[in-house]
Amino acid sequence: MNQINDQRTGSEMKKVRLKLNGLSKQFVVGPERVLLDLLREDLDLTGAKQSCDRKGQCGACTVIVNGRAVRSCLAKVVDLDGAEIITVEGLGTPDNPHLIQEAFVLAGAVQCGFCTPGMIMAAKVLLDQNPDPSTEEIKQALRRNLCRCTGYVKIIEAVKLAGKFLRGETSPDQIRPDAGGPKLGVSHPRPTAMLKACGLAAFTADIRLQGALELAVVRSTQEHALIKAIDSSLARRMDGVAGVMTAKDIRGTNRLKFVVSDRPILCEDRVRYLGDAIAIVAAETKSQALAAAEAVEVEYELLPVLKNPAEAMAEGAAQLHQEFPNVCFRQPQIKGEAEKALAESAAVIEAEFSTQFNHQAPLEPEASLAYLEGEGDEAQLIVVGRSINIHFHLAQLQEGVGWENMRYEEAFSGGQFGIKVEVISEGIAAAAALHFQRPVRYIPSLAESMLMTSKRHPFTMKVKLGADAQGKLTAYTNDFIIDNGAYHSIGSTVCKRALWMLSGAYNIPNVHALGRLVYTNNPWGSAARGAGPPQVNFALESAMDMLAEKMGLDPLEFRRINSLQPGQTKSTGQAVEQWPFPELCEAIRPHYERARREADAFRDGPVRRGVGLGAGSFGIAMPGDGAVAAVELDEDDGVTIYAAAADPGEGNDSMLTQITAHVLDLPLDKVRLVTRDTDRTAASGPAAGSRVTYMIGGAVLDALDKLKEAMGQAGERTYQGLKKAGLPTRFLGKKKTVVSGPLDPETGQGPSFESEVHDIQLAEIEVNTETGEVKVIRMTTAVDAGPVINPQNLKGQLEGGMDMGAGYALREEYVHGQTKDWVTFKFPTMRTAFDMEIIVRETPRVRGSLGATGVGEMTLVPTAPAIMNAIRDATGIRIRNLPATPEKIKAALARKG
Amino acid sequence: MTAPAQNIVGSGDPSRRVRSVAGREIVFDGEGFLSDPDDWTEELALALARESGLDDLDPTQWRVINVFREYYYHHGRAPLNRQLKAECGLSLMELEGLFPGGLKYGARRLAGLPNPKTCS
Repeated sequence: MNQINDQRTGSEMKKVRLKLNGLSKQFVVGPERVLLDLLREDLDLTGAKQSCDRKGQCGACTVIVNGRAVRSCLAKVVDLDGAEIITVEGLGTPDNPHLIQEAFVLAGAVQCGFCTPGMIMAAKVLLDQNPDPSTEEIKQALRRNLCRCTGYVKIIEAVKLAGKFLRGETSPDQIRPDAGGPKLGVSHPRPTAMLKACGLAAFTADIRLQGALELAVVRSTQEHALIKAIDSSLARRMDGVAGVMTAKDIRGTNRLKFVVSDRPILCEDRVRYLGDAIAIVAAETKSQALAAAEAVEVEYELLPVLKNPAEAMAEGAAQLHQEFPNVCFRQPQIKGEAEKALAESAAVIEAEFSTQFNHQAPLEPEASLAYLEGEGDEAQLIVVGRSINIHFHLAQLQEGVGWENMRYEEAFSGGQFGIKVEVISEGIAAAAALHFQRPVRYIPSLAESMLMTSKRHPFTMKVKLGADAQGKLTAYTNDFIIDNGAYHSIGSTVCKRALWMLSGAYNIPNVHALGRLVYTNNPWGSAARGAGPPQVNFALESAMDMLAEKMGLDPLEFRRINSLQPGQTKSTGQAVEQWPFPELCEAIRPHYERARREADAFRDGPVRRGVGLGAGSFGIAMPGDGAVAAVELDEDDGVTIYAAAADPGEGNDSMLTQITAHVLDLPLDKVRLVTRDTDRTAASGPAAGSRVTYMIGGAVLDALDKLKEAMGQAGERTYQGLKKAGLPTRFLGKKKTVVSGPLDPETGQGPSFESEVHDIQLAEIEVNTETGEVKVIRMTTAVDAGPVINPQNLKGQLEGGMDMGAGYALREEYVHGQTKDWVTFKFPTMRTAFDMEIIVRETPRVRGSLGATGVGEMTLVPTAPAIMNAIRDATGIRIRNLPATPEKIKAALARKG
Repeated sequence: MTAPAQNIVGSGDPSRRVRSVAGREIVFDGEGFLSDPDDWTEELALALARESGLDDLDPTQWRVINVFREYYYHHGRAPLNRQLKAECGLSLMELEGLFPGGLKYGARRLAGLPNPKTCS
């Protein structure tokens, strides 16, 4: 096979012979061609992934070259003449997998699956050389491979398990759960895990689209300005350019409305943050599109920049959106008489806290495709992306681009953590496909993805917390301001979520809070794992320790005695039915006491150990939430689930499969899932808010109940039996919350979440008082999310969430325009990974799905305060503004003297 | 009819409204769609129709409303226009002209289907 892969002159080209997955190949390439692009673009071997803009930072592109693990994004093909290369596709297939692939699947190391092929290739090189590696040796060998989902725990376990397989100590068949055995409480492999482990799961950028134009976007270089003119005349004349489009070429509303209609696909007359989209360039190749985008001239008239909420709230401040004031949402919450109760309290603490902008950091950058099926007005526009709310996003896009006949298809998704609760690049792709009447691909760089995507909202919070002489909480106040950035997105929902969960795990009789959401010229905030509660819970859980310390009380006992009890009310005034939080305090107590004893040996010297607690009770199923799902008995008596339940890595496919197989007593392989396509699925709502198990699982169970009722009527469990009885074989199931309705606009009293997952975490850390570095030694979590459907998936969520929580606490801060890749983001690595211990209690929830509720977001909610409380325990300093960087710790230590 | 303009300061909740319609307290979203399609009754549809300027609903309008509901309760989602045209045997222009606000803000809303663009 001969290929010319680079637009170079003949003199620069070089012939290269490779042995690739056992086959001899020849290529003629230019000097800049890297192996990753050769594999993906010329050979359609897309198991190796691109995440870090070819900087060698992520390891997702790792392949084996001459027996060494090589990041293929850095390997120039011209340097590889005669090399023997193995990619993940050459390792095994789903029908005949390699033992390492089996180990990753069976250990639960595959979540979103984007990093998995690279991890597996790095693991193979290690195990070829050392079939029995230690944890430290695994961390060293895989140190260049990043994962956002797992916290690395299960990846390390998978490498060890693979070693056992390779050494012949056990086999996959010996440890694989019995598919014919119990369906619940068993870690059956995820339905898509092997596809991902073999590099065959198609993520958006992996999908071939014949004849597609490549897109590039002209983005604002200003934070706030009027657009006076756009000159694309030069760009339009450049090689390969099919055209340039601006807002006036969009036939719809040009708005992607979530709550309010403020976010344009392409800016019309004004840009509101650095990176706002202004124009789309379409060209035959990506490099041509990027070059032409550079040539588009935008003339701006600069406007005052609102750098933070204080500037936006100042008298006379420029108004960012003509239709909405800068303080675009406010919600008080008043329960009892907080100030009076504080005045009468035995002890009160008062403090200010703040949290940072953060990037959700899915490993997969933004990517969208769009194309038309059919012609003229009857054509259907297909948009492919990684939305977690496909029906909602379909509706957004229909209005935004002005085309009703549309289908959204979700590709496999390389993590999301809230970022895909919004359509982002999809609006660009959809508008361009309609305008240019050609298939289009929009595969932006990581740096551009960071520029365009939503971020976790920063909060500033002024709090007071009081208790009586017996240590019972009396009152809590929290005046918090949210930097909403340039566009609303779900900002008001984030504010409400913070208020719905404001009192955390505790019974606080008097509460006075005010949440305000403020537009600024910063990147727009939106969903990010937890979305609101992680911020306010950081303040509350820090305040809990401060008050316990002031009163001389044990922090664990202080939390336990202040737990809500059934019948008592949250800060919204809603009484709770179940509250199994005190039991978690008891469950973690032996670990807490052990940790305190161990820490006592490290109280002196430059490296000091500390122990801290953080708790949380996280709401699931917001008032008025509803989900629908359809089930259909197939002709072979298997069942297909039709539900828009995206699974970007959490394990939703496992949950749906296992509960269905359990209820109908079916083999797991007789349960099929249709979850990724708006033409075929029920509109089940977002795969967000930790709601999929509780809400969509609940809707599936309702449909299954109806199917079983029909089977009972027919006296038959078969498709033919139902048909003969004249009964339907397809049923729509629903789940809706018992309570709905808004919070009272003046008092913030009203319904809150229907279910809660509870958690208390114990952080054991070491602070180097000379460098300010904090090392997490171990996190222990005691969690109750109801009966466990798949233990590996539950633990995977807990481990990944704690790792993310530790990053939020200690390292990660997104600085717009400066954070451009995984190094500047301070992405968690094998080196920052830590030991984790998990304690699970399983209190069945009254309206849970087979008693279960969700867990995915809760897991990081207590982590940051637990670590901050541990830093206080170790050093006597308290960090109130996240993240607790070495510089902040050194400065605080210096102030303390 | 377009979605009402919103000044959301102090509104408490921009995406939910509790209204008394046809003698019942019912939760709507910010664009006037039912939060729960099970709250729908024919009486409610008539009340919403009158609010939108119709005196009554004729058999063709009821047919469209029923197609919306039947499709939703089978598929768990609203039909696209091409599916509506096929089911109702009407052109898109005819369908859009049947209801003030057209298909989305008229027929779909009167049929009680949830607004897929609502998020609390």
